[in-house]
Amino acid sequence: MKSLHPLTWWLWSIALIVTVIRANSALYAALVIAGAALIVWRWAGKFPWSKSFWFSLRLGTFILIVRAVTGVLIGVPIPGTKIIELPIIPLPDWMAGIRIGGVITQERLTSSLHEGLIIVSVIALFGAAVSLTSPHKMLRVLPVMVYEFGVAIVIATSSLPQLVASYSRIKRARILRGDEKPKFKSIALPLLEEALAKSLDLAAAMDSRGYGVSRVRSRYRPIKWRSADTAIFSSGLVLLGLVWTVTS
Amino acid sequence: MIKFSNVSLVYPTSTQTILEGLTFSIVEGEMVLVIGSTGTGKSSLLRLINGLVPHHTGGILAGDVTVDGISTQLVRPGELAHLIGIVGQNPSSGFVTDTVEEELVFSMESLNVAPDVMRKRVEEILDLLALAPLRNRAISTLSGGEQQRLAIGSALVMHPKILVLDEPTSALDPIAAEEVLSIIHRLVHDLSLTVVIAEHRLERVIGFADRIIHIAGDGQAQIDLPENILKNSVIAPPIVHLSRALKLDQLGLSVRDVRRMTEDVRRNGKENPQVLKDPTPTAILIKGASISYGSHLALKNVDALVMEGEIVALMGRNGAGKSSLLQSIVGVKELDRGEISIFAHPPMSLKGAVRRATVGYIPQEPSDLLYAQSVAQECAQADKDNGIASGSTYALLQGLVPSVSPATHPRDLSEGQRLALALAVVLSAQPRALILDEPTRGLDYQSKSLLIEILKGFAAQPGRAVVIATHDVELVAELADRVIFLSEGEIVADGPTIDILLASPAFAPQVAKVMAPRRWLTVNDVMRALDQETDSR
Repeated sequence: MKSLHPLTWWLWSIALIVTVIRANSALYAALVIAGAALIVWRWAGKFPWSKSFWFSLRLGTFILIVRAVTGVLIGVPIPGTKIIELPIIPLPDWMAGIRIGGVITQERLTSSLHEGLIIVSVIALFGAAVSLTSPHKMLRVLPVMVYEFGVAIVIATSSLPQLVASYSRIKRARILRGDEKPKFKSIALPLLEEALAKSLDLAAAMDSRGYGVSRVRSRYRPIKWRSADTAIFSSGLVLLGLVWTVTS
Repeated sequence: MIKFSNVSLVYPTSTQTILEGLTFSIVEGEMVLVIGSTGTGKSSLLRLINGLVPHHTGGILAGDVTVDGISTQLVRPGELAHLIGIVGQNPSSGFVTDTVEEELVFSMESLNVAPDVMRKRVEEILDLLALAPLRNRAISTLSGGEQQRLAIGSALVMHPKILVLDEPTSALDPIAAEEVLSIIHRLVHDLSLTVVIAEHRLERVIGFADRIIHIAGDGQAQIDLPENILKNSVIAPPIVHLSRALKLDQLGLSVRDVRRMTEDVRRNGKENPQVLKDPTPTAILIKGASISYGSHLALKNVDALVMEGEIVALMGRNGAGKSSLLQSIVGVKELDRGEISIFAHPPMSLKGAVRRATVGYIPQEPSDLLYAQSVAQECAQADKDNGIASGSTYALLQGLVPSVSPATHPRDLSEGQRLALALAVVLSAQPRALILDEPTRGLDYQSKSLLIEILKGFAAQPGRAVVIATHDVELVAELADRVIFLSEGEIVADGPTIDILLASPAFAPQVAKVMAPRRWLTVNDVMRALDQETDSR
């Protein structure tokens, strides 16, 4: 898996995102999420960014719940099978057309969940691409023009895991001072200070090592597009073609 | 090669001049050592060489710095990358990529070096720094010494004319430090590389230096031969203190030179009587302690005792399990098997005030313990936590370092002062045991002797014990009663300091190397053997 081109998984997930939106089916979206999860679980390494997918799933679930709740409570009623009737909260006249509460129908619930699930699968596919690709490798195929962007990526990917390590270190030190429930502020301040200092160090190191000096970068190990890349990318394309013909 | 003409430097938010009217030049193939107390501007001086100061930090630079004829004012630091390799204090915070090989080629790729040239140079560096077995490893899995070698390798791969190193050995055990320094020494001699190096532990580098830049701290700096600088300097390795104490005609800088001059001392000195302490009750009991991380065993069945009144040093190479053992003694890491008791408490059960009164812990970064906005607030918090009269902690701090102003932010203190503040906070609770994890990283000699005094004073009170993990053999020689030596999670030696330190040349302090086969570890030991009680420091 090491030799895959950094853009492969990105192209693959973009193709799949298009299919999910085109298919507009909750079942299909759920299948895609499951498939992505399987691939990430099997092939993502043990790098700091590999956990992004699971994080994106959690984020997606949160969005799904918030969307479902607000979608059901607020908005235009959809007629259909009644599940429960809530009292309507009276709103001033100028807010006509919006209502909170009222009859909750099965149709309204499923349509909210359906849209939510598609959003979740889009987020999850992005997460999968991040999980499966080293951002540092990604940096090497990006043009030098995006210099600031490159510096920011390197700093973000290396300072996040550092932040986690520093957090547990500082919290442990607090416990050792006999402070079992340290206040958030008392940890956040030294944590931010440290993160900032380390980021500056890293930026200085990149600068003094000549990053961004030459417009053209040479490559020690040329990043090649291999048959495995073609296979993965075309699997995405085939799926895209299938979905397109089925839905049109 | 490097030329400073009338250089002065002031940082934007500070009123203090870091450097003032500094003029010197360094020729090709020279190895120059930069010394000075912490916070005097050693790092600033190093970073001036490739223009990181002031390009990256801001600040006002007067005068001119030229490197190989190029003024650093006119170019960005990156444009000097082919000329200057710079390795920061903490190599792990400067790594940009994921694996050893990618890290080595990062600079060359950025500067668009042709692939065949890159391949040749990478092989060359892998051989030179013995990195070949690591070439495909992820950087995060490397040990401290390996990371340091990689950082130096990634700088050298550009074939720079100048190598700038900021405390390259501060995180390394004596053996790893020796490896790194001998590589640098070889490069100076074989390739005529110009090296500028800042280091606190002079005993490690003094033999290699051609000249020394001594930064006084008030903006003044001197550059001269090592003999001339060290003749009067407070900052000096033990070997120089020995020369001074013995009133030798010449200042010897290498073990060999001083050995030649001290033959009669070795012949005439008498054996120091071993001080036998009365047996004391057990303070810390460790029985069958084991810890593993996944398949890696960090501690294997460790048995050890620490008695009351004892100062025990925990030594061993990077990754030998020292920190794991300390963390389980203070009760933040649970043992997989075995048990530990500290003054009859199981450490994991300690909470709040009982914990503070039982065990005090100084982590590798003392600043982790501090979070208030000023020294005064920090002390007041400690007073409140421990229910003692307000002002007691500050009084304690004044006893340790008199010069600290209560309004200062803890971040603005020097390393030594920050350690003293953390110690004051911990000691204000009157703990019975004090545990320290590598407290001397980045400490200058002055702060170190202060630490030795504090810890000796602490252990002299009845019913106290100190455990300290460290790489610093000179500190151990001065301070510890007993040494426990860990290797790969097992105790390989446990005995009186003098026996353990003299058993292996790599861990012998400088004075002991000079005085071998006589069993003297420190300048004081030697003077005692000659019946001349002097205050050598």
